[in-house]
Amino acid sequence: MNTFQEKTNLTRRQFLRGSGVLAATAILGGILAKFGFNVQARSQEYIAQRANGLYSLDERMTLRKSHENPEILQIYKEFLSPGGVTPLSEKAHHLLHTKYGDEIPELIAELKQHSHQAA
Amino acid sequence: MSQVKGKVLKHAGQTRLMHWIHLICFVILGITGLGFYFKIITIDYIFGGIGNASVVHRWLGVVFTVGPLLYILTNFGRFSRFIDTISTFTKDDFKWLKTMGGYIPGLKGEVPPQDKYNAGQKLLGWLVIICCFLFFVTGFPMWLWRHAMPPQLLGLCYDIHFWDAVIAILAVAGHFFLAAIHPKSRVEFASMMTNGYVEAAVSAHHNEKWFATLQNDSELKA
Ligand code: HEM
Repeated sequence: MNTFQEKTNLTRRQFLRGSGVLAATAILGGILAKFGFNVQARSQEYIAQRANGLYSLDERMTLRKSHENPEILQIYKEFLSPGGVTPLSEKAHHLLHTKYGDEIPELIAELKQHSHQAA
Repeated sequence: MSQVKGKVLKHAGQTRLMHWIHLICFVILGITGLGFYFKIITIDYIFGGIGNASVVHRWLGVVFTVGPLLYILTNFGRFSRFIDTISTFTKDDFKWLKTMGGYIPGLKGEVPPQDKYNAGQKLLGWLVIICCFLFFVTGFPMWLWRHAMPPQLLGLCYDIHFWDAVIAILAVAGHFFLAAIHPKSRVEFASMMTNGYVEAAVSAHHNEKWFATLQNDSELKA
């Protein structure tokens, strides 16, 4: 069969244009990637500083555990579970737990009732 | 039309392979991407759920990037000839654009001789390069740096990525129509999608300038 093909040699102009486009793409991509890596590094640095800040604030507190906080213990003894400290007592559950989703309308109704009683 | 007999090898094996890989990736990336944007949950389910569709999109993005890159590095000569062709615009190319190569009904005029790629294909070549570059430089940050970037910058990446997809999909749709459906040019389809050959007579007519530079194998062997 009579077949035709491209010449496989590379002229100087072809080489320069090919490498030019490749180099331009690589440089532009490289600059953007460098920018991205800097942003990433800065963000990591911020996260590390913020975590350190929180830990050191925490370390400086005199009372670091809520279940050892005398005021909390007193609230339990006198109000939430009279006579002892019982976390998750019925009153504690009712007053300290939040409501969400489907429970919200019920909560609103309950709050309204309280405000009527207070009035 | 020239009556020259024989066949022309227009697209080499590796070029066809790269074109296939890029095509398949592009179609799946486009489908999953539009699924994310328009929240078409059915598309996500086809790819195994929202999370999996996202994983498919990201890793196909890797193939979409590495495929052409490997091709360029291993076929630097072919790549350079391609870039040289699409960056050469002569009077004939501008004249081609004026008549749109005779593809648009109503736009009459003589179509000047063209290179391996006509002026429209040359523009598409640049559009594809620019669009792909934008996919890379927005897609990877959206994946790898999404928690590090300021939200405005991440949002900008999403916007650019989406509009880039819109432009690329429209351009590729036009490309598909001309290369696979339009009766004047659909011979190209078999060449890129199967064995790489086109009839010499077709090539001598559509790509006259390029055809003149080719070498004949039988002359080489003689
Ligand atoms: C370099 C290759 C690519 C990479 C790394 C990439 C990565 C991503 C990522 C990370 C997202 C965010 C959604 C998610 O994480 O699930 C995304 C969204 C998207 N991608 Fe790509 N992608 C690439 C190529 C493409 C291509 C070729 C197209 C279209 C033809 C495309 C179309 C889209 C669209 C439409 C969205 C939704 C954008 C939005 O919600 O605003 N992507 N891509």
